Amino acid sequence: MSTSTQEKPASRVPATTRARRRPFGRPLLYTSYSSEMALFNTGTKKLGITLLLLLGAAMPFLLPDRQLQTLATGCVWSIGAIGLMLVTGYAGQVSLGHPVFIGIGAYTAAVLSGDPNGRTLGFGIEEIWIWLPAAGIVAALFGILVAPLATRLRGLYLAIVTLGLVFIASYFFAAFSEISGGTNIGRSSATPVLFGERLNVSGPMFTRDQKIFWLVFVLLVIFAFAARNIARSRVGRAFTAIRDRDIAAGVMGVNLARHKTVAFGVSSFYAGCCGAVFYIVTGFFVPEKFDLEMAVLFIAMVLVGGVGTISGAIMGAFFFAFLPEITRRVPQFIPFISGSDTSTPNVHQLETVLYGALIILFLIFEPRGLYGIWMRIRNYWKAWPFSY
Amino acid sequence: MRLTARRTWTAVAAALVLVTGLAGCRSEETPPSGGGDGAIKTDFGVTEEPCPNAIDSNKGCIYLGIISDLTVGPFAPLAVPITEAQKAFWNRVNKNGGIGGQYEVDVTTYIRDNKYNPQTHNEVYQEIKPNILALAQTLGSPTTAAILEDLKASSIVAVPASWTSLWNYEDVILESGANYCIESMNAIDWARSARPNIQKVMAVHYPGDYGDDAAAGARYAAETLGLEFVDQRTDPGQDKQDGAIAAILAERPDLVILTAAPAETAVIVGGIGAQAQQSGYAPMIIGTSPTWNPALLNTPAKPALEALYFQSGPWSSWGADTPGHQAMRAELTPTPDPLSDGYTAGWVWNYPLKAALEKAFENGDLTRAGVLAAAQSLTSVDYEGMLPEGSGNYAGGPNGSMVRVTTISKPDASAPTGVSEVQPLTAGPTASGFQAGPTACYLS
Repeated sequence: MSTSTQEKPASRVPATTRARRRPFGRPLLYTSYSSEMALFNTGTKKLGITLLLLLGAAMPFLLPDRQLQTLATGCVWSIGAIGLMLVTGYAGQVSLGHPVFIGIGAYTAAVLSGDPNGRTLGFGIEEIWIWLPAAGIVAALFGILVAPLATRLRGLYLAIVTLGLVFIASYFFAAFSEISGGTNIGRSSATPVLFGERLNVSGPMFTRDQKIFWLVFVLLVIFAFAARNIARSRVGRAFTAIRDRDIAAGVMGVNLARHKTVAFGVSSFYAGCCGAVFYIVTGFFVPEKFDLEMAVLFIAMVLVGGVGTISGAIMGAFFFAFLPEITRRVPQFIPFISGSDTSTPNVHQLETVLYGALIILFLIFEPRGLYGIWMRIRNYWKAWPFSY
Repeated sequence: MRLTARRTWTAVAAALVLVTGLAGCRSEETPPSGGGDGAIKTDFGVTEEPCPNAIDSNKGCIYLGIISDLTVGPFAPLAVPITEAQKAFWNRVNKNGGIGGQYEVDVTTYIRDNKYNPQTHNEVYQEIKPNILALAQTLGSPTTAAILEDLKASSIVAVPASWTSLWNYEDVILESGANYCIESMNAIDWARSARPNIQKVMAVHYPGDYGDDAAAGARYAAETLGLEFVDQRTDPGQDKQDGAIAAILAERPDLVILTAAPAETAVIVGGIGAQAQQSGYAPMIIGTSPTWNPALLNTPAKPALEALYFQSGPWSSWGADTPGHQAMRAELTPTPDPLSDGYTAGWVWNYPLKAALEKAFENGDLTRAGVLAAAQSLTSVDYEGMLPEGSGNYAGGPNGSMVRVTTISKPDASAPTGVSEVQPLTAGPTASGFQAGPTACYLS
């Protein structure tokens, strides 16, 4: 078996870390650090991710608009869940305050791209490559403001304090009716325009839902890769050290305060970008939605998806995005749960109960979440037919 | 696991199978092709199969959606009667042969609850949208505003369960009756005729399209008549009215135009009434039409309501003697209990949509765009006497379509809906002279 080494021409990368083509048939043999640390270090992973990306890009041609809306919601929630995963799953800072940053991102984007002549504040800057990063940056600034809380508090206390932030923010969102429209009135969401192409209006070739899906799918891919790279970088390793034993990490020389600030800042940036595109699908949102229920929803995504993995965040987000589709079919099988809102029990109550119930069940029976289930399946087939 | 060439190709083949399996899903996106009867064009919401509970199973079915505040919002006590009356109205239409003798109308399959929340309204609207031709009811002004862009983009005609002046400017919205702006103007005109020494008017109103519109009309009338005007916002919720009551007692207006929901009415009028005993300050309080519910006469606020409160409304109440009212009472037998003018409103609102559907059928075009074009071409709608001749002039633009007549009523425990008329459908001088501006009242 011959191994062919790829030489990088006159580069400064030392021979031991240069990525080399891996010998075929020896899946566990890595001959260089780079090839081991690569994101897709096996052929299967490369093939899998290529197929997944192609399938995702092809979805608008395959699914009707209604399902595309659900998928788009899943993609948007994934971005927020990845943000929460970075701060809670990787850095161990339990944050129930995610809706605050999502809301800040949503309102920044809506205000920047809003109609200047409307009832609510708007500046009419509709190009998405302006308001999306702006929403993220504004949310990140607020996240950095909040970070000092994490340097003083741990675990349960940090969770309660961040929950308090949600109530403070709820009040501000409701009171600033020039920005938010006011309780129960709301305002329209950000207008996505990409170099003149209006993405929230059906065009001659593609419908509105197709365009929005491609937009959020591309954003998800970019953000997921970025998060994965953060996780396997020096900062990411510092995060996991802080999560596992923060005192030991501090003793080893990890700057706790700085890394916790970075964690909150990055997570809030993700939350802000998630918020910016959150309501593009429905086009309209009210300030009461950034409440405890949204905080629990995102924590559920992180826990059910699998703590400490980016794929877990994505799986959890899609799971909860599709949950209403599943619960809507329940009345056909369990007759006493009604589909209409006027009787009890009904599917909306069932959905709310499921959020909490799933967290409990997953924590007890499968603490690694959906990602853990995937790992079990993968390991079974990896050793098949000797899977005992 | 080793990635052999064979396994690679197996994975790619599996992906292709998945793709071709899903490929069929998207073709359901396009609307069903035109109806079996080649003369009538249809797209969404019209089928040749009979309705689920059809009276005549030889007719096709037109599906209309209803999105209303059925459970937890502030207008649920009115919304449930509205929906019941609408079902009764279309049942009568079906019994009399349906639309053009060929289609019956179904309004029961796609009823959804919006909880008076714009976002929920939007979500349930998206849910029923592919299956309906038009919306027979969309309750609430801010909630309808949330779906307005989509309605316009999809040419879906909608009947609002609200009276904001914005609807006169929107082609897809088939409003009936005077809007809140006109209603406030007529209320102030009548109040001055009943009590000529009124100097100060205060508008106590919900935030948003509903309350702002009535307040804008009150402001316009006050400015035109040279009266002092004070604006007071108040939020939904019985426990949130202290600020409004305090403001009224501080400013001491002679006339209060109240634009809220029945729950807040009891609290505010009851609170002012309690003060009236001691201080002798007794303003006239006129409530915009959704502000009243007959059940208020069973609350402790009853004496205050009878002493201070009047109610303006876009049409005569349940017991009036017009062909339309008689048909309504005949259809809603036995008389609903508790009775309210939600039933009257739910009945009246359907006439324009019926006229539009009939006209679209005559034009041979029951597509959404066809129904919209038919609605825009209507110069008058036959309300069977419930509104004056010449109402429903949608072709006349904002100024022509604005109905200028309203009624004023007084709480009366002996009347069927708890109110008896003190002024029938009349247009006051301010409203008659009002020229519709470039946008809705509250936006200008």
